[in-house]
Amino acid sequence: MKIKKALLKDTFKEIKKSYKRFISILLMALLGVGFFAGLRASSPDMVDSIDTYYKNQNVYDIEVMSTLGLTDDDIEALFNIENVESVYGTYSRDGLIQTNDKEIVSKILCVDDVNQPVLVEGNMPENIDECVVEKSFLEGTGKKIGDTIDIEPEKTNETTTNEISTSETSEGENETSVAEGEETEYLKHKTLKIVGVVDSPLYISRERGSTKLGTGVINYYIYVNRENVNSEVYTEVYITLENGDKYQTESRKYEDYVEETKNKIEEIKEERENARYQELIDEANAEITKAEEEFNTEKQNGENELQDAENKINKGKAQIESGEAEINRNERKANQQFENAEAQIESAKTEVAKNALRLNNEKIEAEKGFEEAENQKANLQSTLDNIHNAIKITDNSIAEKQAKLETAETEEEIATINQEIAKLQATRQVYETNKQSVEAGMTEIDNQIASGRQELQNAEAQIDSARKQIQSQEASFQQTKNKTYTQIANARKELEASKQEIADAEAELETAREEFNTKIQEAEGKLIDAREKVSEIEKAEWYILDRQQNAGYSSYIQDTESIENLSMVFPIVFFAIAALVSLTSMTRMVEEERQEIGTLKALGYNKFHIMFKYLIYSSLACIIGGVIGMNIGFQLLPRIIWDMYEMMYTLPEFIISFNHQYSSMGLGLIYICIVGATLYTILKEVKETPATLLRPKAPKYGKRVLLERVGFIWKRLKFSHKVTVRNIFRYKKRFLMTIIGIMGCTSLILAGFGLKDSISSILPNQYEDIFHYDMLVSLKTALTEEQRNSYIENLKQKEDIQEVVETYMESGTVKKGENSENVQIVIPSDNQEIDKVITLRDVKTEEAFTLSEEGIIITDKLAELIHTNVGDTITVTTADDIEKEIKVVGITENYISHYVYMSKTLYQQVFGETYHTNVLLVQDNQLNEEQEQAVMQEMVAQNEVQTVTLTTNTMKTLDDTMSSLNYVVVILIVSAGLLAFVVLYNLSNINIGERIRELATIKVLGFYDREVYDYVTRETILLTIIGIALGVVAGYFLNFYILGTCEINILRFEKVIQPISYLYATAITLVFSMIVNIVTYFALKKIDMIGSLKSVE
Amino acid sequence: MAYIEFKNVCKDYKMGEIIIKALNHTNFSIEKGELVVVVGPSGAGKTTALNILGGMDTVTSGDVIVDGKNIAKLKNKQLIKYRREDIGFVFQFYNLVQNLTAIENVELATQICKDSLSPDEVMEKVGLADRKKNFPSQLSGGEQQRVAIARAIAKNPKLLLCDEPTGALDYKTGKQILKLLQDTARKENMTVIIITHNAAIAPMADKIIRFKNGTAESIESNQNPIPVENIEW
Repeated sequence: MKIKKALLKDTFKEIKKSYKRFISILLMALLGVGFFAGLRASSPDMVDSIDTYYKNQNVYDIEVMSTLGLTDDDIEALFNIENVESVYGTYSRDGLIQTNDKEIVSKILCVDDVNQPVLVEGNMPENIDECVVEKSFLEGTGKKIGDTIDIEPEKTNETTTNEISTSETSEGENETSVAEGEETEYLKHKTLKIVGVVDSPLYISRERGSTKLGTGVINYYIYVNRENVNSEVYTEVYITLENGDKYQTESRKYEDYVEETKNKIEEIKEERENARYQELIDEANAEITKAEEEFNTEKQNGENELQDAENKINKGKAQIESGEAEINRNERKANQQFENAEAQIESAKTEVAKNALRLNNEKIEAEKGFEEAENQKANLQSTLDNIHNAIKITDNSIAEKQAKLETAETEEEIATINQEIAKLQATRQVYETNKQSVEAGMTEIDNQIASGRQELQNAEAQIDSARKQIQSQEASFQQTKNKTYTQIANARKELEASKQEIADAEAELETAREEFNTKIQEAEGKLIDAREKVSEIEKAEWYILDRQQNAGYSSYIQDTESIENLSMVFPIVFFAIAALVSLTSMTRMVEEERQEIGTLKALGYNKFHIMFKYLIYSSLACIIGGVIGMNIGFQLLPRIIWDMYEMMYTLPEFIISFNHQYSSMGLGLIYICIVGATLYTILKEVKETPATLLRPKAPKYGKRVLLERVGFIWKRLKFSHKVTVRNIFRYKKRFLMTIIGIMGCTSLILAGFGLKDSISSILPNQYEDIFHYDMLVSLKTALTEEQRNSYIENLKQKEDIQEVVETYMESGTVKKGENSENVQIVIPSDNQEIDKVITLRDVKTEEAFTLSEEGIIITDKLAELIHTNVGDTITVTTADDIEKEIKVVGITENYISHYVYMSKTLYQQVFGETYHTNVLLVQDNQLNEEQEQAVMQEMVAQNEVQTVTLTTNTMKTLDDTMSSLNYVVVILIVSAGLLAFVVLYNLSNINIGERIRELATIKVLGFYDREVYDYVTRETILLTIIGIALGVVAGYFLNFYILGTCEINILRFEKVIQPISYLYATAITLVFSMIVNIVTYFALKKIDMIGSLKSVE
Repeated sequence: MAYIEFKNVCKDYKMGEIIIKALNHTNFSIEKGELVVVVGPSGAGKTTALNILGGMDTVTSGDVIVDGKNIAKLKNKQLIKYRREDIGFVFQFYNLVQNLTAIENVELATQICKDSLSPDEVMEKVGLADRKKNFPSQLSGGEQQRVAIARAIAKNPKLLLCDEPTGALDYKTGKQILKLLQDTARKENMTVIIITHNAAIAPMADKIIRFKNGTAESIESNQNPIPVENIEW
């Protein structure tokens, strides 16, 4: 023990004496352990912080959403699942808030026992007309606590869940259209008073999700009182698990536990989906039936009414008709009568006229008769005369005959003459009678004329009276006739009016009927539509999500993973350097104490006792440094990293814990490095005999270096350069250390900048070189072929639009062997067209690909992840769970996400499904951002469009995410700088210490400070340059390595380092070595010539 | 006025609480071309005086005049210039740069001086013309000290200051070195100051300064210096 005591004392004295060395080793341990423990702890601390946060706020373990909303029955069913502790049904919806000049979109959440928001300021919304907002809401809108806001929730059906649903919204709308006006307001109070500021555990990052409202981006979230919400179904159901807080979030156990429960939920999923679907269908059907009944009654009523009206009209018409007929009849009768009467009158008149005429005729006749009679009389006279004559003649003739008789010759003649005389006699007799009759006739004629005349006079009188009678009759008839016709005309007029009325009524009826018909048709159409749409209601689909699907959470976790990956790489470099530095320091120490070691050995101390001092020395430095380092590291590094991430994430508290695992691991490692290095040096020394040790160690011999043999170079070197060259090769250990240190520094910085280059090249690579479209327009699924085509045609015609490429996209998975990845399957409608918006090409050769039926083209990162080469066959599973094996014919350049490109023909061949365009990739006419926004808003408002994604917006979001990786770069550069500084400083100290006599000598020789400095640092500078050169090479590879570890699955980093980054890395390293050189300069200046030269080594 | 004059020079060292007076009102003078031997026990202030004279240390008070220049008043940079141009130093332990060959060690000095001598000539002078490409580790102690002397005189200094130049050497070699120094002083008419604790070599000097308790106790001029080879000790 005594021995040890003495040795211990010696050890502490040694520490006191060589405190600089002790501190330098201590510092190395401090840095090594600090960095290791601190960096390694950062990621667990971050996870721990979110874990604590989530536990405190009772954040869900599993979230269930359904395309058709969730009901109490669902909750009941979920509650009965094993491991489920609590099930919370809750509501959320997007809403528009108008403030001053802006329109902002906010997610309306409600305060619940699950996912409790943290109150930062003010109160929670206790009344239904109150709300709480996030801090940035106040900053962004200029509102204060106590102000009120008006919020207009999105008009959708209750079943709509904003996150998932896009397609089912339309169905929801149908439903409401069936039962029009039945939609209730989502919020009872839409004017809300801001009463507080909260942080939501659901939104720890700036990402708020997307919406159908406004510009499509949710700006803020607000919380309202649950009572304020008016919704039939829950939009989300959150589940917390029994004993869930036993496990740390993201731990394997937790994930398994959640996964296990998710699987159990999966089991009831279908049943519940069907139940909800059936419920909705039933509801809808019931409503339709009701509507149908209503429709039918309405229709019947309408029809009846119409019928009644028609009947009435018809009756009226009949009446009119009969009226008309009667009138006509009457008229006809009247006419007839009048005609008869007229005819009578006429005939009477005619009679009279006839009579008059006859009379006249008779008169004339009579006159004639008279005349004739006169004539007859005259005739008779003449006849008389004639008879007189004839008698005379006859007398004459008789006389003659008689005469003749006298003359008669023959009897016969006599007889004849006698006869003739007889005859004549007879005739004469006749004449005589005639004469008498004529005379009588004559008298009679006279009588007759007289009576005729009398008769005529009588007749005339008679006719006159008849005429008079007729005239009076006619007058009265005319009167009657007029009267009758007026009556008829009146009746007609009346009838005409009635007819008009009926016509009007008929017209009215016609319009009413038309109206009715259109209404009926419409109603019928609606009913048909409704029925059709009910049949179209897609089955409810449950989405069973866990925290991983929360954007903020998952990006946070991803960041912790990046940090963790990083924390694997850095400490290695630090440890290596720490080991090297302590190796040189301890070597130097042991060498300095050769004589002491020799003395001790000569005094009879054994190896262990001698080693004890150095081991204690280095162990103490190591442990003290390590413990200080881990304490600082655990506090500082996670805090620094957190400070950086705090810009992106809102967590109430960052929890720093002392991580025993990492601390002991770090300490152990550094102990092995430093004490191991000590052991190595001391073991080498104690092997020597005391005599050798007591003699001063022969100084390192000067040696000719290889370069000296190359005469033509050596001769040309300046003297001082020769010295430098020789020195460099003389101190090989230092030479190596400097180079490694500088190399490490440069390579870390280069890797840092390289990482930044790679990160910042992703976006331009993807969205400028690969994707050329400006907008991604997804169309509603329910569109018909014509609707779609006409929409596309219209779009193509637009002035702002340059190119529209039709594609069908669906999500799916690809699998090869054990590896599977989620992908987006892109099927362009035209294999050539796609070139306009997406470049498919080989990464290396830049050779362009064209889609064919031969097989699919997959993106490069995907190929890498599933270990696939061209010609391999992979399993592609579509969203509908159809699995097909397809050959890969090309691997195309891509940077973000995974895509599978397939030709239309191949798709139809393999999957046997009909192709229909659902996504349009649109290139605009180089619009600026504002114009694009305007176009987008216009598009979103159109019925055919489901969503519009602007490439610029996507880029912005991604840019935010990726800027977090910039912090990694900062960490890299800062730590690299620190490393460089420590190494160079240490080396510089060792260099000076080791060569103090040499330096003192040249100072004595009269070297100016500057010359002394040059003498020493010329080497350092040369080594630095070599180190930088090597570092650039090493950095190039380190960059690849870090890229490999930091790379997120869905991103492919292009392995590029910009020339400027080489410049930066070189410049920064030079700056660090410059700083060290300045320190060296002053250290050199302080060298005590006398002191250094006095003692013997 | 003498070529070198120490006037009332004091030098105090602070060792914690105690102030050690290394030089206490020291006065002496040396003429140009003199070979001076400084003797005295350890801690008497010989080396301190030499260091001050060589511009490696500063005085606390007093004046040091070298060739009409008061070096006690010189600033750091001027002191370096003084060392560079006017002083040649030879140490007990040679202090050669191990990594340089003999000739290179000489060159190390000559390359910073204006009127330096040719390193090859100097090497010849010190009798090491054939060893000049050797590294110090390849030379014996005497040879190394010769190189050190060569390095010092190659600068063609006004003063050659030697602090126990033979301290680490054997008798014979030491004698050879002293001879070299004496010859140099004579031939080159160089002012040479040799510190030694070996009083026996004092007769070789033109002037002997004895130090005791921080002062030059006696300064003795020797009219007949004896060549070193004739001195036995």
